[in-house]
Amino acid sequence: MLELLWMVPALPFLGYIILALFGGRMTKGISAAVGVGMLGLSALITIVIAISFIASPPEGYLFLQTLWKWVDVAGFSPAIALRLDPVSLVFIFIITFVGFLIHLYSVQYMEEEDSTWYARFFAYMNLFVGAMLMLVLADNLLLLYLGWEGVGLCSYLLIGYWYKDPANGAAARKAFIVTRVGDTAMAIGLFILVMAFRTLNIQEILRHVPLVWPVSSQAVVITALMLLGGAVGKSAQLPLQTWLPDAMAGPTPVSALIHAATMVTAGVYLIARMHVIFLQAPEVMTIVGIIGALTLIIAGFSAITQFDIKKVLAYSTISQIGYMFLALGVGAWSAAVFHFMIHAFFKALLFLGAGAVIYALHHEQNMFKMGGVKNMLPLTFWTFVIGSASLAALPLVTGGFYSKDLILYLAFTGEHGSKLLYFAGLFGALITAVYTSRMVFLTFYGHEKTHLHNRPGPVMEVPLIILAVLSTIGGFIELPGTLGHFPLFSNFIQNILPSPGSGEGHEGIGTELMLQIVAAVVAIGGVFIGYLLYYKKPETVQNFKQTPSGQSLYKFWLYGWGFDWVYDTLFVKPIDWIAQVNKSDVIDLIYTAIAWLTRGFNRMFSFTQTGRLRWYAMGIAFGAIVAITIVVFL
Amino acid sequence: MTTEGLFSLLPLFLLSGFAVILMLLIAIYRDHNLTFWFTLAGFTASFASLFFIQAVLPRQIVPILIIDNYALLYWGMIILASSAVAVLSYNYLKEHEEQKEEYYILLMTATLGACTMSSASHFISFFLGLEILSVSLYTMISYLRDRLESVEAGLKYLVLAAASSAFLLFGMALVYASTGTMEFARISESLSANGVNALTLSGFAMMVIAVGFKLALAPFHMWTPDVYQGAPAPVTAFVATVSKAGMFGLWLRFFVMINGYRYGSLLILFTVISIASMFTGNFLALMQNNVKRILAYSSIAHLGYLFVAFLAGGKLAIEATTFYLVAYIITSLGTFGIVTVLSGKMRDAEDIEDYRGLYWRRPLVATVFTAMLMSLAGIPLTAGFIGKFYLVSAAVNSWLWLPVIILVINSAISVYYYLRIIVVMYRRIDEVTPAVETTTGTLATVGPVMQPSISLGGGLVLAVLTLALIWVGVFPGNIIQFIKDMVSSLSSAAMPMHTAQKIMLFR
Repeated sequence: MLELLWMVPALPFLGYIILALFGGRMTKGISAAVGVGMLGLSALITIVIAISFIASPPEGYLFLQTLWKWVDVAGFSPAIALRLDPVSLVFIFIITFVGFLIHLYSVQYMEEEDSTWYARFFAYMNLFVGAMLMLVLADNLLLLYLGWEGVGLCSYLLIGYWYKDPANGAAARKAFIVTRVGDTAMAIGLFILVMAFRTLNIQEILRHVPLVWPVSSQAVVITALMLLGGAVGKSAQLPLQTWLPDAMAGPTPVSALIHAATMVTAGVYLIARMHVIFLQAPEVMTIVGIIGALTLIIAGFSAITQFDIKKVLAYSTISQIGYMFLALGVGAWSAAVFHFMIHAFFKALLFLGAGAVIYALHHEQNMFKMGGVKNMLPLTFWTFVIGSASLAALPLVTGGFYSKDLILYLAFTGEHGSKLLYFAGLFGALITAVYTSRMVFLTFYGHEKTHLHNRPGPVMEVPLIILAVLSTIGGFIELPGTLGHFPLFSNFIQNILPSPGSGEGHEGIGTELMLQIVAAVVAIGGVFIGYLLYYKKPETVQNFKQTPSGQSLYKFWLYGWGFDWVYDTLFVKPIDWIAQVNKSDVIDLIYTAIAWLTRGFNRMFSFTQTGRLRWYAMGIAFGAIVAITIVVFL
Repeated sequence: MTTEGLFSLLPLFLLSGFAVILMLLIAIYRDHNLTFWFTLAGFTASFASLFFIQAVLPRQIVPILIIDNYALLYWGMIILASSAVAVLSYNYLKEHEEQKEEYYILLMTATLGACTMSSASHFISFFLGLEILSVSLYTMISYLRDRLESVEAGLKYLVLAAASSAFLLFGMALVYASTGTMEFARISESLSANGVNALTLSGFAMMVIAVGFKLALAPFHMWTPDVYQGAPAPVTAFVATVSKAGMFGLWLRFFVMINGYRYGSLLILFTVISIASMFTGNFLALMQNNVKRILAYSSIAHLGYLFVAFLAGGKLAIEATTFYLVAYIITSLGTFGIVTVLSGKMRDAEDIEDYRGLYWRRPLVATVFTAMLMSLAGIPLTAGFIGKFYLVSAAVNSWLWLPVIILVINSAISVYYYLRIIVVMYRRIDEVTPAVETTTGTLATVGPVMQPSISLGGGLVLAVLTLALIWVGVFPGNIIQFIKDMVSSLSSAAMPMHTAQKIMLFR
């Protein structure tokens, strides 16, 4: 059954082609059927592949499918080949399955668009998923880069989907340009790899890196840093995180897709995939961990101050990806992938839930104007609460608890771990719980401020239910040592990624239990704080906000710690200024001059074409003199 | 002369024989159709005979002709190009001229002349071939007697060609005076034995003048636009392709055989000529509004490109120039072919305004023309690109950086006027700007010069040429190998340019 692998990315691409070519002439029903159907089929095939992969794993837990050779020039012959192993299997499962649910949900969410726009939406969404599948299935970095760029392009197209509002166009451009900074770094990393290994085949690079580059050698550190640059850009980590909050300009299903299934997790995938390079460069591993820790705290504080429900979720994504980076930084590869999966479930759930609220309240996104939605949309409420619990990592019953706990535990005890990173993660967990409960209380409790406009139908509700179930039971495939020790997921991933080398032997179960209790207390404490501040006594926060220091702190966090301001001052404004000054383009003058000169020559030469025979004969005579002079005297 | 020797002359016999047959045929029964079909039969027979004689090659026929694979390749090119011109001429003449039939005799003899030139190994055959070709061309160029510019063009060509022939003869005489022989091989021996003096070099320089005139190289190019414009479109195609192929084939052989690459001053002369041709052609074409003139100027520039690789010397130069010539013939036939099929009774489709919106009226013709112009500009996927690439690689291989840089600059300039034609073709008629001033300063009369429909033959020729253009552009491997094999009879004798000379010339 594994031979069907090529169809997984091919079907979304096919959907894109159909929709792009004929979308303008299709009814909405057909567009939706193509868009959702292709992804549904793709997800179905993925599940079949997953079952057969787990039931009878191929040799070395690796299945390669070479489709064709792209070019073959001077020993450089990148193949179009797909690579399936436990890591890419998890990723394609999430991408197709969660992607399918998001597509299904969009059928109703986007129904107000006219049919051309509707088809365009599904076309881009299919292309987005196809590009992401290409990225995670690629067997060489060139193909991966193709998917990487494809994802970047689609994010641009979808964030700017409602392009008639210039603000959305600006947000799309911002996403594209900021991630482009990272992409450039990554491209440089790929150039170094090609120069050093004469190949971009992932398998061969991973095999050769430890042999060729000693630990901490300059080349490996630079390469790792460059790849990290790419990962940071795509995954919206410090210092390139600024595009993600603005990316909320796109329709909510797009946000769900970007945050859960595609795009932002690409960075996590890249680092996990190229882990050998990072293991050879421990300094960079440390940097990855620190970036993750800083990002998760900074984004957490920003999330507390947002009033737009989608922006809360955006910052929470940045923060949660920070956890994944932290996990990667401490070498807890499988924990990172595990958190990716659980996060995909609950973040898709939260976005879709938020989308349902926004849809129901007629595009109202301000949480302070919501309130009391609990009674209006009970199903949305309950699923949203389940997702939030997972985000806040409430102990035992949520998937988020198990995945986050695993990261914290490995940060504490792992070989590359550090207590500092652990505490940062723990502190982040507290903040997460606070902003999550704030979001839930503001949105769903209190009295109604906006009236119900639309009611989400079953195509919107079914994905919510499925995702709610998954974000709960998803955690049970990886139970820690204290709770029956059932590391199914880790074992599966560790067939291909190294185990973190955690000291279950020498740390003992006591430490683990203690850490879990601390984490549980922190999460519950965070929720309680949120309950106090935003439900019981909201005036405390209001009063604090009124004080000058509170006001400035609020602003500081609201605008994402001033990163936008810094970048604006450092880069955007100077470039704008230069463009303003150089309106008539000095460099262009050179070309104008050349054109002018050429025209002058044309006029000069034209005088020779008089049409007179005697003049022409003169020309020959002149040529004869020149020729004989040259020959005789030179 | 042996029987095999006679047999190897079969293609030339067939060409001359058919010229006589045509003459008799016209005397007995004057009919355009019949004459045309006999002409085609003659070309076909001659072309077919190439395959038969290949077995007995190479042959030296007395001292004056050498028939080897190299000659065979040029014969093939010339005969195929002439047949294409014949097909294009058929419909063109049907529209234009009362006395159509004699044209084909002239076409046949001109082809014979070109073929003779490309297998010449002696001054006698050199000159004879050239004159057979030229004399036929005088008449062909002014064949449309009631068209004033046609007669004018023929007359101009006659006077100037005669002058250049005088230079040629004088040059030959000088060479003969100092070497005592008119055979290429002997000249080479004599030069090696006795060295070279100013007299011999002046002789070569004077021969270069005649060659430059025929190939329309600057500064002997000035007749080109007038003749190209005045001549009937198919004759223009013939002048641009067959006559140049014959002359170039001869000159390449001559230069390689006497090992002219020994003489730095000759190379400097060709460098100057090549650079001058590139610039002159492209600058003049830039603001031109007459398509025939644009193509004339562009052909000057293209021959300039060709000589960049010619300068490189050695095997690569022969292969590259021959390949480029093939590409050039395909595209030139294509472009002039399009001018031919679009031309009406009153005048040729030569004003750029005639092409405005062509795509919306004749999408297929416009597409073909676009492809041909792209090839002239050297855009990838066309024969022109591979050809130019070949030229550049040959020149770079011999360190000819100056000519290569100038070639690249000129390619950039040339894109402007090729694209200008393309842009005009894709404009919609209703976007026409107010009347455009033409070269003569009068307002263009955008009248119905176009033929209502394209003849079957013309369409067929264009289709074949387009296919060849793309085929050579996409899968050049086969044809490159074929050319390599065919020219090996000459290229094995070629000596690479001396390194010291390279450094002297282009440092």
